[in-house]
Amino acid sequence: MSLLRSIAGGLRSLFRKEQVTQELDEELNSFLEMAAEEKMKQGMSRKDALRAVRLERGNLEVTKEIVRSAGWESFVETLWQDLRFAARMLRKSPSFTAVAVLTLALGIGANTAIFSMANAFLFRPLPVKNADRLMVVAARTSRYDPPIPLSYAAFLDYQRQNNVFAEMTGYALDLGGLGTQGHADRIVMCYVPSNFFTMLGLRPALGRLPVPGEGDAPRSAPVVVLGYSYWQHRFGGDQRLIGQSVNLNGQAVTVIGVVEKGFKGPYATVDIDAYAPVGMYGAGTGSTTFFTAREDSDFRVLATLKTALTAQQAESALNIVAQRLAQQYPQTDQGHIIRVIPEGLARPEPAVSDSVALVTTVFLLLVGLVLLVACVNVANLLLARAAAREKEIAVRAAMGAGRLRLIRQSLTESILLAAVGGAAGAVMGNWACRTLEQVRPIGDLPIRIGFTFDWRVFSYVATIVLAAGILAGLAPALRMPRTNLIERLREGGRTLIGDSGRHWLRNSLVIGQLAGSLIVLLAAGLFARSLARAESVDLGFDRHNLLNVGINPGLQGYDQPRAEAFFRELLRRAKALPGAESASLAYSVPMSYYNDGGVVYAEGQASATKGRAPGAGFNSVSPEYFETMRIPILEGRAFSDEDTAKTDRVAIVNEEMAKRLWPGQDPIGRRFSSISASGPFVTVIGVARNAKYNVISEWPRMFFYLPLAQNYKQIRVLQMRTSVPPETLIPVIEAQVREMDPNLPMFDVMSMEKSLNGGNGFFFYKMAAAFAGILGALGLVLALVGVYGVVSYTGSLRTHEIGVRMALGANPRNIFGLILRQATILVSAGAGLGLVAALGVTRFLSSLLVGVSSYDPATFVSVPALLIIVGLVACYLPARRATRVDPVEALHYE
Amino acid sequence: MADKPSDLVQGTLDMLILKTLALESMHGYGIAVRLEQMSKGVFRLNAGSLFVAFQRLQRAGLIRSEWKATENSRRAKYYVLTEQGRKRLNSETREWGRQVAAIARILETS
Repeated sequence: MSLLRSIAGGLRSLFRKEQVTQELDEELNSFLEMAAEEKMKQGMSRKDALRAVRLERGNLEVTKEIVRSAGWESFVETLWQDLRFAARMLRKSPSFTAVAVLTLALGIGANTAIFSMANAFLFRPLPVKNADRLMVVAARTSRYDPPIPLSYAAFLDYQRQNNVFAEMTGYALDLGGLGTQGHADRIVMCYVPSNFFTMLGLRPALGRLPVPGEGDAPRSAPVVVLGYSYWQHRFGGDQRLIGQSVNLNGQAVTVIGVVEKGFKGPYATVDIDAYAPVGMYGAGTGSTTFFTAREDSDFRVLATLKTALTAQQAESALNIVAQRLAQQYPQTDQGHIIRVIPEGLARPEPAVSDSVALVTTVFLLLVGLVLLVACVNVANLLLARAAAREKEIAVRAAMGAGRLRLIRQSLTESILLAAVGGAAGAVMGNWACRTLEQVRPIGDLPIRIGFTFDWRVFSYVATIVLAAGILAGLAPALRMPRTNLIERLREGGRTLIGDSGRHWLRNSLVIGQLAGSLIVLLAAGLFARSLARAESVDLGFDRHNLLNVGINPGLQGYDQPRAEAFFRELLRRAKALPGAESASLAYSVPMSYYNDGGVVYAEGQASATKGRAPGAGFNSVSPEYFETMRIPILEGRAFSDEDTAKTDRVAIVNEEMAKRLWPGQDPIGRRFSSISASGPFVTVIGVARNAKYNVISEWPRMFFYLPLAQNYKQIRVLQMRTSVPPETLIPVIEAQVREMDPNLPMFDVMSMEKSLNGGNGFFFYKMAAAFAGILGALGLVLALVGVYGVVSYTGSLRTHEIGVRMALGANPRNIFGLILRQATILVSAGAGLGLVAALGVTRFLSSLLVGVSSYDPATFVSVPALLIIVGLVACYLPARRATRVDPVEALHYE
Repeated sequence: MADKPSDLVQGTLDMLILKTLALESMHGYGIAVRLEQMSKGVFRLNAGSLFVAFQRLQRAGLIRSEWKATENSRRAKYYVLTEQGRKRLNSETREWGRQVAAIARILETS
């Protein structure tokens, strides 16, 4: 109540100022009169009485001021005055304002963009129940491995045996095919236990969600729930879909509902198309190993922490369960270490979330540095203006404006500048995000980044606007009290070179600015070199003139014989196309987003090697694969058409696997198994050269190939070695596929070089290099503007001195040298300081760089040299201008 | 030293104004005079602190004001104690009594 009344009273004073002032005047006057009357009754003259009252009670004018400034409204009023004054000053010098606003807008815009991305990827919680207590449970299979998902069997054990989570659920991420009436899509889907929906508190937008227990047992409930976006764009939001039967991976299932609109799925960055009961996993292939195989790591576990427990406590409790399980299943669970990570910190995968966090931190710091450089620029501009306004400020101080009042005025001005710059910057940052959202890191998948200007972005922008305003305004503001009034007024604004204090400040600001932008530039240089190195890395296959076409006949419900016939015909047609040199089929494409892998057991070694069997990746390929990819077979032979489902099981291993499993021995004829220590085994018939398989940065890893004829896959990629640019064959091969089956969708149809720009390929190197490059360019331009500004300003301050020198016989060359010498000292000091700082900083980048040391000499020599040269060029213009001073005019000017 | 008017103990001015108004509504000068009389000249009130206190009390809803004619038929702003103000005065008086008693006990024990 009283707060409301205080606000009402304050508002009344603000908006009905005249009436309130008048009332106060009247009240105080009557006070004075009454007091004087009292005195006059005692025989004083009116004049003496009034004087006595003033002595006793204080001056009434001062009283008025005191009363007026006691309420909160006076603060608002001064602020309003300051704001109006600041706006007037900014309007009065539009070019200064434009430069300052643009500078800040660039700095703030870049910050907004980077923060929005970090927000979308990392900071925004999932829109689910108890998101703050939602944890990801993952396992490290040894102390040296990153955390990966669990097996479904292990999940069930932890779900039964833990006492730290209120509830545990999870999901298996998979690609699937969903078809209705002759049209099939490739979709991204989750297989989930029935408690997935209840634990996350999800509601159906339409129809219903699975009831508790529904579909948890294998093959018990052939139903599917659609994602909202998929339902909208694929079925146009058709409500009649509920209860209808669709074809999911060749199985007839019933659509029972659509999940709520706000929920895009549990996996960061991917918009999930459909959810099926976990019991339906593998229904299309008839395999049920998912439910029992403990060596799998397909199940991403989510859990709600019990209230008042921490992630660490939960982790210790789960590791006790893990030890029990290790005794029970030594073959598979030995050495497992459980990690419990808050969901927000485990995106997109717990295994890479550390580097995601590092990348985010690095870029937030770099972009922060750019903002700092921008602030220094504005600070310098403000300092220059403060010097020009010295007389005005001195007059205001003489009129009784206190120091604090002047500082406040100065800060109001710079914060207003920052606010205008911030508004422009937010618009720019938002635009940058919209542009970035078009970038698709992986193939045709429904990637959602979802930049939105939510309250987090808003408060971040507001904070940096305030910080930028204060930073930029601090230097000029703090100089206020030091200004000696009398001297300023007497000097009449003339400043001789003797004002070393201000020069010192401005020079060190420019040096700091150059140093800051050098750090950003060096980071940009290192990322660019890293990209160049990554692109020239030997991938182990020939990436040029190679076309990929993904096809999954399972989307149209083909069974194995029909699919195999289809692929045989496809291969025949592809090879016959003009421009095609060779063609082959494979399950996965190197550096794409899906691949096979598991543990391998060399025959007869299972008992010899203690603990876990080693892991290896594998691909299933057709006989022409090695020829098409140009992967050399170093020993033995490639697959041939003689290797069929009826002949002996064979495999080709890479050099690394041959070396690790059979060191110093001939691997040909050896046998190994990817299923269990007791077989079934496959026989090695050849050794292929090492290549890159999953990510560009990987070390040589164990890898083997199986013939597709012996290891059936319904998802296959047709790869064609072309003698023409591969893109030109895209319409031709698409026409061929359509001729064979008009309803069969193709995916990831692109050249290998384009495919390599995906998430596991060069995408992050390119993005890092592009971002760092943009930030570096921004920093460079801002620093140059700073150098230019300071040199031309000091040049103009020294007009008088230069005039004297020239009158005494100095020639323009001397003057030019004088200015340039000063500039050289500035630029080299900045570059030197930046170099030293960068040497301390760049080692944090080392884990993000490929093939480049974080002290890469080439970068550390060329980038500072570039900065110095460009910096000196920026000084050239003002130095030239200084030489054109006319001595007579310069001396007259005073 | 003792015969010079003293400054008020911090925060007590509001309570004294409320006390003065508890008897009858009064204008600014009247309140000042009454306070000085009641304190037998110990307190001498400055117009600045007095009027700031009026504004503060009014905004807190403890007093309200109305323009009225004085006995000398001059127009003056009279301050009136509100119900809320009366309650506050009672509670503050009690609190003050407790504190003074406590302080007195401390001073006497030494």
